[in-house]
Amino acid sequence: MSLLIRRQIPIALVFITALLIMMDYFLKLPPLDARGVSWTSPVVKDLQNWGVILTAFALGFGAVNLFILHSRHISRRTVKQWPFSVWLLLMIILFTVVGVSYGATSPEYSWLYNSSYFALSATVYSSLGFYMTSGIYRALRARNVDAVILLVTGGIALLKNAPAVAVNAPFVVSIDSWLNAIPTTSAMRGIMISAALGAIALGIRTMTGKETGFLGRLTEAEKGG
Amino acid sequence: MREKRGFWSRLEDIPREVLYGLLLIAFIIPMIKPIGFPVPVSPETQKWYDTIDKLPAGSVIMIDFGYSGGGEPELGPMAVAVYHHIFKRGGLKAIAMSTSIEGPLLWDKAMAEVNPSQYGAQYGVDYIHIGYIAGTETAMAAVGKDLRATTSTDYKGNPLDQYPIMEGIKDASSFDLLIVFTTGGDQSEGWVRQWVTPYKTPYLCSVLAMMKPTMLPYQKAGQIIALTSGAQAGEMEYLVKVPARGIKSADVMTLTHLLIVVYVIVGNIAYYGKKYSGG
Amino acid sequence: MDLGSVIQIWLAALFTVWIYSIAFRDNVFFKFAEHTFVGAAAGHNIVYAVDNIRRYGWTPFTQGATLYLVVFLLGLILYTRYHSKYFWLSRFPLAIMVGIGIGLSMRATVTAEFIAQIISTASLQLVGVDAWTAFSNLIFIIIVVSVVYFFVFTFPGLHGGGRAVIPKIARYGMMAAFGYAFANTVLSRFQMIFGRLDFLMSSWLPLPGAMMVLPIVLILLIYAMIPAEKRPWPKSS
Repeated sequence: MSLLIRRQIPIALVFITALLIMMDYFLKLPPLDARGVSWTSPVVKDLQNWGVILTAFALGFGAVNLFILHSRHISRRTVKQWPFSVWLLLMIILFTVVGVSYGATSPEYSWLYNSSYFALSATVYSSLGFYMTSGIYRALRARNVDAVILLVTGGIALLKNAPAVAVNAPFVVSIDSWLNAIPTTSAMRGIMISAALGAIALGIRTMTGKETGFLGRLTEAEKGG
Repeated sequence: MREKRGFWSRLEDIPREVLYGLLLIAFIIPMIKPIGFPVPVSPETQKWYDTIDKLPAGSVIMIDFGYSGGGEPELGPMAVAVYHHIFKRGGLKAIAMSTSIEGPLLWDKAMAEVNPSQYGAQYGVDYIHIGYIAGTETAMAAVGKDLRATTSTDYKGNPLDQYPIMEGIKDASSFDLLIVFTTGGDQSEGWVRQWVTPYKTPYLCSVLAMMKPTMLPYQKAGQIIALTSGAQAGEMEYLVKVPARGIKSADVMTLTHLLIVVYVIVGNIAYYGKKYSGG
Repeated sequence: MDLGSVIQIWLAALFTVWIYSIAFRDNVFFKFAEHTFVGAAAGHNIVYAVDNIRRYGWTPFTQGATLYLVVFLLGLILYTRYHSKYFWLSRFPLAIMVGIGIGLSMRATVTAEFIAQIISTASLQLVGVDAWTAFSNLIFIIIVVSVVYFFVFTFPGLHGGGRAVIPKIARYGMMAAFGYAFANTVLSRFQMIFGRLDFLMSSWLPLPGAMMVLPIVLILLIYAMIPAEKRPWPKSS
């Protein structure tokens, strides 16, 4: 009984939900309403709206995980960490209080966002550019044929991405266009077709209970089932 | 005792601070003293521009403001230039939503830069934002199936019924064009799966330059009309005749990219020099 | 410019400089900015979670869609995953989310990423076009087929012997693609760096006092980068 509720019903829920959504897309199952719309259509519409709300609930996971982790640091007074943990939790609280009480698009919240989160997020992602530069200098070596191909295509694309070079050396643009349209697109298409096959296989395995990653930790009895 | 290192070995192991320092100089010099390198317009940017330009009056555009703050320096200028174009062209309805959680605030930022009132465009009449909708592909599918069932308010929480722009807007079939600015592969590809495939909505896609290769197969298969990267914002600004951050970056991109090519060459010379000279 | 905007620019500028400092050495200012970033990101998620629940759930619920009560309950149940005994309850809402995700992606993946891509590849002309186009199209088809072979036919023996040429072509094709992707990644990252430097130079440095504070900020950063045991004060950070 316990196994049925804990493992089989969630898998059945996945199967039914996914099947309903696919049926609504591919088939027009009777009974139809006066406008010729299948019964699956409103059901799927509701399901999708439910999905939006459930995802919104899931957005809080990050904060909960951080609270758990950093509360531990604070209670254990972890050296060189706990004052930062206090600050981190304060930031979560500050954002939440301002955003929820004034509104997510209010000028107050917008001010807070622009002065901290936006600036930090833009800078954090851009800082990878520095590491990449050092990686380029130290690791991009023409050691074998594979690496030479990567270097040559990358080098041509780099030159094309420099606007002044693109204007003054049209042949670089022509070579880049070919590299972009033929080898890059074809290789990416091959990867896409393969990944699509993989995604379909994974979907079917999850629907049939062969893939149970979403269930989280499993007890011994559940693993056996 | 310290081992004596040869020239090639020292050249290969230049401290990262030197590499970063030179890079910073390559960034800063053209910012202090602009050179004014020209911006070449690529066929895809031209195609994007023409697609919007040739839309019949009254056409409705769905715009996904789906980039994050991290991608704003690249995609922000592109989004701003495209909005300039839409308003300049006139007679178009731009309905925005966000599949990125930072989208609504970045949209506000972009609108402050565009200043739609200079073109006589009004919120709720010519443009609107219906908010961030969680769930990525679920959100796209939900809005495509029935926009009003998913949300009945705009991003500020005001009822959609009070805005003239929303009259007759029901689902994906109400839109004549889909424009996406995004930093997420889930989003750029998701729109192909949830809108282009079932509803055949014409699709203009602008992503981070690094995401472009993954989107090329869709473009080749005709699922995307024009694919640009945010780094091509300068081209769009040139076409729309509103020079801003995109054009400004042309000088910087030229110098920094040439520096990177030099790094690759010097790095390889050092590697082979060390290999054949024994250090 | 109003005081609020001035403070906003100052904060954003300091955070920008502090984050970039990690490229040189770890320091206390970077750690402070880093923790601000993580906290702000988590807080921002909560704010928009509440906003979404309110707008897409609570509004229809107050207008009579009572079934949304079930969704709220399911949403709350998601958090039982943190409970050692009742964690399994969270599987029910998760199952619905996973089911929706699989249904939505599978139904369109078949058409958009499998059939459409095969049709597009198969429609490339090898005859009736100029020699260069025919050659390019041939290369295109060979790379697509080789890459699919590389990833799908992974049974033992299929990548060796006379067939080894297929994965080799696939690898060369992918290396060309990765080279192109690498160059574009450089472009993306440099655009981002430009965006931040442009902000510092166009918005912050023109502000009164910024030019004077910049060297102080840099000196403090360099000081903070010196290992604790080597600096006179404070001994530990």
